[in-house]
Amino acid sequence: MYEYLIAVFAYIFIYIIIVVSLNLAFGFTGLVNLGHMAFFGVGAYTSALLTLHGTPWYIALPASGLVACTFGALIAAVTVRLKGDYFQIVTLGLAFIAIAVSRNWVSLTRGALGLPGVPDIIKNNFYYMLFLFAVAFLSVIFIYWLTNSEIGKIFQAIRDDETAAAILGKNTYFYKVLSITISTFFAGIAGSLFAHYINLIDPTIFDLEFFVIILAMLIVGGLASISGSISGVFFVSIFTTAMHFAFTSISPELIGAMRQMLLMLILLLILIFRPRGILGKVDV
Amino acid sequence: MPSIDILPQLIVNGLIAGSIYALAASGFAIVYYVMKFQYFSHGAIMSIGAYLFFAFLNLMGLNYIAAGLLTIAGCIIATLLSNWFIYMPLRKRRATPTVTLIASIVLLILTSSLILAFFGSSTKTISLTKYNKTFDFGIFTITAIQISILIFAILLFLFLWFVFKKTKLGKSMRALADNKDVAQIVGINPEKIYNYTFVIAAVFGAVGGMLLGLEQNLYPRMGIPIIIKGFISSVVGGLGSVPGSIIGGLFIGLAENVGVLFLPTGYKDVISFSVLLLFLLFRPQGILGVKMRNV
Repeated sequence: MYEYLIAVFAYIFIYIIIVVSLNLAFGFTGLVNLGHMAFFGVGAYTSALLTLHGTPWYIALPASGLVACTFGALIAAVTVRLKGDYFQIVTLGLAFIAIAVSRNWVSLTRGALGLPGVPDIIKNNFYYMLFLFAVAFLSVIFIYWLTNSEIGKIFQAIRDDETAAAILGKNTYFYKVLSITISTFFAGIAGSLFAHYINLIDPTIFDLEFFVIILAMLIVGGLASISGSISGVFFVSIFTTAMHFAFTSISPELIGAMRQMLLMLILLLILIFRPRGILGKVDV
Repeated sequence: MPSIDILPQLIVNGLIAGSIYALAASGFAIVYYVMKFQYFSHGAIMSIGAYLFFAFLNLMGLNYIAAGLLTIAGCIIATLLSNWFIYMPLRKRRATPTVTLIASIVLLILTSSLILAFFGSSTKTISLTKYNKTFDFGIFTITAIQISILIFAILLFLFLWFVFKKTKLGKSMRALADNKDVAQIVGINPEKIYNYTFVIAAVFGAVGGMLLGLEQNLYPRMGIPIIIKGFISSVVGGLGSVPGSIIGGLFIGLAENVGVLFLPTGYKDVISFSVLLLFLLFRPQGILGVKMRNV
């Protein structure tokens, strides 16, 4: 029970970094990045590969953020100029490409077998959970500060009316790439923290099933609201934990299916009836 | 590295895989063309089609015609329910295509967990062995099931062409796709046409799902990889173009199979995803699509 609750909180802090960073691009800048988990996965693989080859974690952790945001910046640089669904389509396609690369580049990723034995950053789970809290806290503070700064206002102006922002002399292309770069940097950091927590990275981290959980947290919490994202993470995590303790007699496989079903139903209801989520500032 | 002698066999295999991809892609594309959102829950309908066919045929022991017709009916009902309970309310509140896309991905995942709850996670096989004779043409072999896959795919594409070009329904669908407001002014009821569009997509999903179930094992999340292939085919063929999606599906099927001449078999997925990446970067409008506007 004690160990389980520590795990719940460890996940909550990792999810907070992912969801808040996705909110920066999706909610604050209006860039629907459906491939956010690809950057999370890139961060996780980078950190796993570096530490398995003897690099210390305090280099691997920032490195995974930098590798993820380099990919993010490159992809944003070629795609954000195009109108319409194109950015969505490319980022979604990217998520699928990430699955194929991680499954098939066996000499690097060991394919479906994954990379076991990723070393812990801190052996004791309780202290690692506190470490995750500290990183999540700093990330949230930074993104909160950013969204309230002049840059953050420009992001939101681009989301609301890109033409107007351009007329006011803002280089909207630059700010859109910047938003994706910062957002994917934190996704990479979260991926690294995740890899060192579960110690095994395999291609399933790119699966749509994982991404929809993140989407559920983001949308239930509400777009363009940091406190919304944090409440979304807590809502979904408490719901999942409650399901775990409420149905101890059912097989874990069936609980997993039921949990996923209920979560998807909640998400559909939010999409249809309350597109602002709990604390959102704009509709989905 | 395999020799060039097996090229005819690879082309046949490519056309069979491509027909199934084309069925996935065309259902996706019909809905995209008329309603302008990315219809990922088409994969869910295909997995429902495969499992219903399995249930009617192997669990209830019906003959394959009755099982096939009941499966199509079941898929039509499932599709219409998704329209009435999800897509219609979203249209009513004027949700953006992004929201509808997210809802359709959510439905896809929801369906895979529903199937897992009903049928369990173990893989299932549709047994149709008594119909599955193999024909040997010297340079290639093909099974009776594979021949029927090709025939069904061709019949469905002809049917689709006929509906689009020769019927009033097809004209209304094209009018709605071009300009919804004008279509409404001339008396087209969009909701009615949307229902028909979903029914046509459901038939494609049902048949595609059954054929997919005959070619491979059934597992709860089978709808996800197939609709990803459908999405890739549709992007490669040209988003928003129904004939493009069929060409895209055949193209991806052929590329994956003929690619075996140059790469190990495990790289099938890499081939289709590389094709996707190349198209996204250099020709985002696809083979037949309309060029997307730059800002």
